[in-house]
Amino acid sequence: MADSYVSDNEPTTRTLLRRVLDAEVPRTPRRPRSTRAGAQRTLVETPFSMRLRSQTKTTARWHSHRARSIGRLAHIQTSEHLKEQTPRTLLENILLTAPESSMVMPESVVKPVPVLQMVQFSSRESSPGSLELQLPELEPPTTLAPSQLASGKRKQRLRLSEFQQGMDQGLPVPQGPLAEPHGNAGASSLTSSLNLTFATPLLTQSVQRPGLARRPPTRRAVDVGAFLQDLQDTSAALALPGDRTPVATLPTDTVLEDTQPFSQPLIGRSPSMHHSLPCPSLSAERTVSRRTRSSGPGMQKNNSPGKPAQLLAGKAEEVDAFTNGFPNTSNSISGEDGLEPLQGGVGEEVEELMEESLSVSEVKEAAGAQGSARAEEPETHTQVIEAEGSWGTTEAKEPEVSSGDKDIAASPELASSTPEFPQARQLEFLEPAPPTSPAVLSSEPLEPLSARLPPRVQTAGPRLRQDPYKTGLSHYAKLFSFYAKMPMEKKALEMVEKCLDKYFQRLCDDLDVFAAHAGRKTVRLEDLELLMRRQGLVNDQISLHVLVERHLPLEYRQLLIPCAFSGNAVFPAQ
Amino acid sequence: MALSATVSQRKRVKRKAPRGFLKRLFKRQKPHLRLETSCDLLVHLNCLLFIRRLAEETRTDACKNKCGIIKDQHVLAAAKVMLKKSRG
Repeated sequence: MADSYVSDNEPTTRTLLRRVLDAEVPRTPRRPRSTRAGAQRTLVETPFSMRLRSQTKTTARWHSHRARSIGRLAHIQTSEHLKEQTPRTLLENILLTAPESSMVMPESVVKPVPVLQMVQFSSRESSPGSLELQLPELEPPTTLAPSQLASGKRKQRLRLSEFQQGMDQGLPVPQGPLAEPHGNAGASSLTSSLNLTFATPLLTQSVQRPGLARRPPTRRAVDVGAFLQDLQDTSAALALPGDRTPVATLPTDTVLEDTQPFSQPLIGRSPSMHHSLPCPSLSAERTVSRRTRSSGPGMQKNNSPGKPAQLLAGKAEEVDAFTNGFPNTSNSISGEDGLEPLQGGVGEEVEELMEESLSVSEVKEAAGAQGSARAEEPETHTQVIEAEGSWGTTEAKEPEVSSGDKDIAASPELASSTPEFPQARQLEFLEPAPPTSPAVLSSEPLEPLSARLPPRVQTAGPRLRQDPYKTGLSHYAKLFSFYAKMPMEKKALEMVEKCLDKYFQRLCDDLDVFAAHAGRKTVRLEDLELLMRRQGLVNDQISLHVLVERHLPLEYRQLLIPCAFSGNAVFPAQ
Repeated sequence: MALSATVSQRKRVKRKAPRGFLKRLFKRQKPHLRLETSCDLLVHLNCLLFIRRLAEETRTDACKNKCGIIKDQHVLAAAKVMLKKSRG
C-alpha cells in the first residue's frame, strides 16, 4: 500500500506485512497471479505515492487507481480466497480490510480512507443524497481518532460536493472508481466486505458472527426494597446474637423469641406478608429469592444465616443442614441454588418453631417436600423436627407457621389463606411425624436438644489451652500408632497422650536441672545430648549425629550437624 | 557461607517437627528458661525415640497377651517401664 511508502520512516505492522508479502515468493500455484497483481500494485503505487506527497489534489485519482488495483487484487484474491485459505491470503485480507490508517497516522493518510468510503458508497447507492445519510453511520464503527474522523468528515463532505459535481458532470475520473468498486461489489463478498469494512468494520464482524457480539448481561428485576430491608434485617440480626454458634446463644434465643422488640426488626423485612414478624420476613425472603434468582444469592445467603442466628442459634446447625438438604426438595425453586429458598424455608421453620407447635407442620411440609426427593438428610430433618417440636410447644403463633409453609410450597399469596392451614397442618403434621421421627415426637423433644447443646458449650468455650496442646500431642500419638504397626483402640491413644504429657514434663525438668548445673539459663545442645546419654539412647557406639541422621529429615540434619562449606565456612557455626 | 544456595527440590519436609508446639510447651513449663535455636529439633528427636520405644514395648505386651489390638492396659504397662528407663 502507499502507506508503506508514505510512512517509511515509521514501520508499522501493516507496512512490514506488506513488504513481506510483496517480497516473498509465493509457494502455491495460484500465487503467481497475486504476485503479478502485487507487483503491478507496487509499480502502480510508487508513482502515485510520490504524487501523493507532492500534490494533494491528485489524491482522488491516486485513490481511484489504488482502488482499482485493490479491486483487481481483491478480485483475484477473492477467487482464490474462496478456494483456499492460507496465511498469506489471511494476511492480505487483513491488510485490505483493516483500516489503513492508525490513530497516530497523520491526516493526509486519513484522507484516502474517507474518500474511498465515499467512492464505494456512491457506487453502491448511486444517489448523492443518500451519501450524507451514510456518513453519520461511519462515525461509530470507524476506528480512526475522533479528531481525525471529524476532519475526515469535513473533508468527506467537501469531497462529496466535489463528487456530486463530478457525477453530475459525468467525469470519467469518478466513474473509474465508480465502476471498479461497483464491479467489485458484485464480484465477491470480500469486496463488499472491503467496502463495508472501511465504513463499519466492527459491525460486519458482529453481523457475520452474532454469537461473538457482546450481549448486555441479562439481569432480572431486583426487588430493591426487599433487598434493603433484608440488609437492614441481617445487620440487626447479626447485631443481636452475634455469631451462629448454637450453644451459648440458646438461652438468649429463648428469651429473644418471646420478646416483642426482637420480632420488630423482622416486621420490616416482609412488607408482603401481613403475618407476624418472623414468618413474613422469611416468606419475603423466599419470594425475593424466587424473584431475584441471579441477584439474590448473595443477599439470600447473608440473610438466611442472619435469621437462624437471630432466631435460634441452636437451630442454626440443623437449619443449615436442612437447608443443604432442602434444595432438592423445594418444588417451586428447582433450578436455583437451593440455598436461597432452602435457607429462607429453614428460617421460616425456625421462626415457626419459635412460635408454635404448628411449626411442625412446616416440618411436615418439608418432610413432604423431602419425600419427593428423599435423597436428603433425614437426620437433619429429624433434628429440625425436634427443634421445631420443642419450640412449637413453647410458643404459639399460628399464622406464621402456615405462612412459612405456604412460602415453601407455593406462591406468597397463599399467606393470606394461612389462617386456615395451621389446623390442617397440625393434622398433617401428626401423621407424617411418626413416620419421620417417632422418637422425636416424644413428649420431651427439648431434652435431647438441650442435652446436645451443653456439650457444645464446653467445646466452644476455652480453645486456647486445650486445642493446640491436644493437637500437638495427637501428632505424636499418630506417630505412635504408626510405629506400633498394630490396630489400636481410641482409649489406648488417649493413654499414649497422657504418657507423653508426663514425659514432656519430665523432659523439661531434666533440662532445667542440666542447664542450672552448667550455670546457664539457656538450654543448649549439650544439655540435650547429656539427657540422651543418660537415657541410654546415646552411647559410645551410637553418637548423637548418627541418631540425627537416622531419624530426622535432611533439612534438620543440616541445621544440627555442623558441616564444612567452601571457604572454611562451617554451618551451623560453633 | 550459609546453607547451600540452592533450595532442595522437595520444599515440603516430610515428618516435620512441630517446633512451635515444642517451644510453647517448654515456655509454659519453664518460663524462666530459654531454649536455643535448634534445641527443639533435638527435643523432637528425643520424643520420636521415646515413642518408638514405647510403641515397640506396647506391641510386645499386646503380642504377649495374644491380642490383635493394642489396648490401654498394654500401653500403661509399657509406659511404666519406659518412663522408668528414660528417667535421665
